Amino acid sequence: MDTLLLARLQFATTTSIHFLFVVVTLGLVTLLVGLQTAWVLTGDQKYERLTRFWGQLYVINYVLGIATGIVMEFQFGLNWSGLSRYVGNVFGAPLAIETLVAFFLESTFLGMWIFGWHRLRRGLHLALLWGVALTAYASAFWIMVANSWLQNPVGYEVRDGIAHLTDFGALLTNPSLGMAFGHVVSAALLVGGMLMAAVSAGHLIRRTPDHALHRTSLRIGLVTSACAITLVQGFGFAQFGPVGAVQPTKFGGGPEAEALTAEWATRFGPGDYTPPVLASVGLGFMILIGFTLGALWLLLPLLWRDWVIRLRFPLWLILLALPLPFVAVILGWIAREVGRQPWVAYGLLPVDQGVSPVGAPVMLTSLIGFSLLLGTLAVTNWVLLVRHAARGAGDPALGRPAGPATDTHPAPAFA
Amino acid sequence: MELAWYALLGLFFATYLVLGGYDYGVGLLLARNTDPGRRRAALNAVGPFFLGNEVWLVAAVGILFGAFPVLEGELLSGFYPAVLGALAGVILVTAGVQLRSRPAGERARARWDRVVVVGSALAALGWGALLGGLLQGVPLHDDGHVAGLTHLVTPFAATAALAMLALVTVHGATFLTLRLPAAEAARVGRLAHRLIPVALAAVTLATVAGLLSDRVRDAARQPLAGVLLPVALVAALLVARAALARRRPGFAFAATGAALALPVALVGATLWPDVLVSTVDPGASLTVADAAASTPTLRLLSWVALPLLPALLGFQLMCWWVFRGRTDGRAPVYW
Ligand code: HDD
Ligand code: HEM
Ligand code: HEM
Repeated sequence: MDTLLLARLQFATTTSIHFLFVVVTLGLVTLLVGLQTAWVLTGDQKYERLTRFWGQLYVINYVLGIATGIVMEFQFGLNWSGLSRYVGNVFGAPLAIETLVAFFLESTFLGMWIFGWHRLRRGLHLALLWGVALTAYASAFWIMVANSWLQNPVGYEVRDGIAHLTDFGALLTNPSLGMAFGHVVSAALLVGGMLMAAVSAGHLIRRTPDHALHRTSLRIGLVTSACAITLVQGFGFAQFGPVGAVQPTKFGGGPEAEALTAEWATRFGPGDYTPPVLASVGLGFMILIGFTLGALWLLLPLLWRDWVIRLRFPLWLILLALPLPFVAVILGWIAREVGRQPWVAYGLLPVDQGVSPVGAPVMLTSLIGFSLLLGTLAVTNWVLLVRHAARGAGDPALGRPAGPATDTHPAPAFA
Repeated sequence: MELAWYALLGLFFATYLVLGGYDYGVGLLLARNTDPGRRRAALNAVGPFFLGNEVWLVAAVGILFGAFPVLEGELLSGFYPAVLGALAGVILVTAGVQLRSRPAGERARARWDRVVVVGSALAALGWGALLGGLLQGVPLHDDGHVAGLTHLVTPFAATAALAMLALVTVHGATFLTLRLPAAEAARVGRLAHRLIPVALAAVTLATVAGLLSDRVRDAARQPLAGVLLPVALVAALLVARAALARRRPGFAFAATGAALALPVALVGATLWPDVLVSTVDPGASLTVADAAASTPTLRLLSWVALPLLPALLGFQLMCWWVFRGRTDGRAPVYW
């Protein structure tokens, strides 16, 4: 096995795991901001309980976002030292900005939010959550700036074989960025909305207590995901224009693709410059899921007089559809990233020059080690999420007032 | 401008070792504590700061990537095993601390606590080995790449790792002395006091190993700073011991914090003007200036990042201020 393949596999595995968690983070935090704002504005107990329940799930999910994110960040240096050497001057800038501007504040705010219940004033506590959400969006934006630069390098010039930054503005107006960012953000909202709807549907199917509470979050989740799927479709189709213009080889050939590969063959030497078909397969199935989920709109009329709940089968449909958006996001990234091959930076740096000169055994150890570690943690995290989701909004640990012995005698509502 | 960013990188990494250091120290001390209530109280003493501590590492690596891309690649891939260990440790601690209280049963929590102990040890050992590895130089060839991995396997790197483990443990115990309810604090205070001689021994051992190693002696560009390093560490530990004996935990914490921050500054100073000293080809050593990103990138980062620094520090200060003082000893809530 060669180092390159192992490094690519490791990047694909760890990013996919990372994304499965951060997509939930991004979607849920948006809904949480709505819930907590409603609580502070109306003072309604129901919204406080919803905030604590969904906040608890959000915080559990967040743990793996951080753990996998740290691996991602180190991986560039560990496995892709060629990438930092040749294009680090340009590609590193948005990543550095992201960590300083977004992550740093996000984590600081989140720590205060978790421990700030009953300690900070309501308004300040709410402001912290707004801060968490805004910085989460900022981090998604900057990471997409970095990724879009790999898709379509702009704003640089090559001197002495190394890329130097010439125009940072071009990175922000990159045609690969705008629609993709909209697409990713609306996909996150879709995931968040469907998660909320599905967990509530599960409770309504099992007829657990708190009917009114779960009814509310079912409705919020459904309306959110219906609006989000339309945005997802819109931004998705809007991507074909820019992708076709800047990456003609991505999804199948054509005269432009042939012209480009011919040019590459003269500049970089002969070689196979067509990406694996996996890219188009991923694209196809994602679009299929996208159309299927368009059916979410059919459920909205059933909100009238609670027919969704009374008919029961829609609840089952919502629950069973939950894996679909997760599968779609992975397929979408496979389309985008595999379609970029054989380049790390499209048309600029071939993937085999990006990889670190470490031996295959070390790379294999690292691949197996991190896949097992993150895989185990991911499964554990999902088990915990399911348990806490099933336990319901009785008395989540998040936002529970400190007091003697709350911990050792769980309230009966837990059962 | 390179120098300013180099200093900033050092500042972020040093702050990470100080703040993350007490997380790992508290994590390691879980191994000694059999009482579930006490273990939980210790973790909740870290509580609100935990997320804000670890993020200094994320930011340090961000600066490393943005401002020193060449160094980033060679440093991380050149110290692969140490970085891998530290990284695995950071992940285990991150997950363990935050998830341990999500299951309700004490058995599951005890298992997570073991994860935290192992993770804390790995993180401390990994960063210690990395700092030690920097001091002994790397086989950097004139093609700009570090070749091989066995260069890290030396007595000096091993003793440096152990010294870091000991420093972090002392620091964690001192933090708990400062933060736990007064009744509990006296007990950990005595523990911290007893641990300091162990740390002194570990630092001495690493110093001896360093003085005996040709590689370390050859790599030191500024030997004076190199000699100052163990001296400063010993002084900081002695100050901490005296402060603990006089029940001045705040003072002691400042001293153990300095013991974790100083190595970063002094390692940087010892190698200056290089960052990676080559053991195979003196001409191939990487200087700070060569490792840095080109001017337009640094200028951009300066425009974006420097105005934000006060805000970053301000919000961290706000966090420390809001949650200052001792924990109140009521049943801890979240971790
Ligand atoms: C809930 C998830 C989801 C759903 C239902 C869809 N997508 Fe998507 N898609 C993503 C989630 C996603 C993504 C994970 O967010 C990607 C990966 C990279 C990106 O920018 O967004 C993506 C990438 C992606 C790309 C690749 C862009 C590139 O290679 O640069 C295209 C062309 C589309 N999408 C188009 C669509 C269309 C036409 C859809 C359906 C009608 C659709 N997507 C549904
Ligand atoms: C947004 C920031 C991202 C950046 C900067 C990024 C960067 C990279 C890099 C450097 C590689 C390795 C080099 C290569 O194979 O070309 C890679 C490969 C890959 N990434 Fe990403 N990635 C990002 C997001 C994602 C996400 C979120 C996913 C999945 C959910 C993903 C899926 C993949 C896959 C499947 C590969 C392997 C492609 C192949 O080698 O054939 N990426 N990416
Ligand atoms: C489109 C792809 C990506 C998106 C939308 C994304 C988004 C996020 C978000 C929202 C978080 C906050 C933690 C959480 O919410 O759970 C996060 C964490 C993190 N991500 Fe990503 N990320 C992506 C890809 C990457 C890549 C390629 C890297 C590698 C540089 C990376 C590095 C990190 C790091 C280091 C953290 C941890 C920060 C912390 O400690 O709080 N991410 N990511």
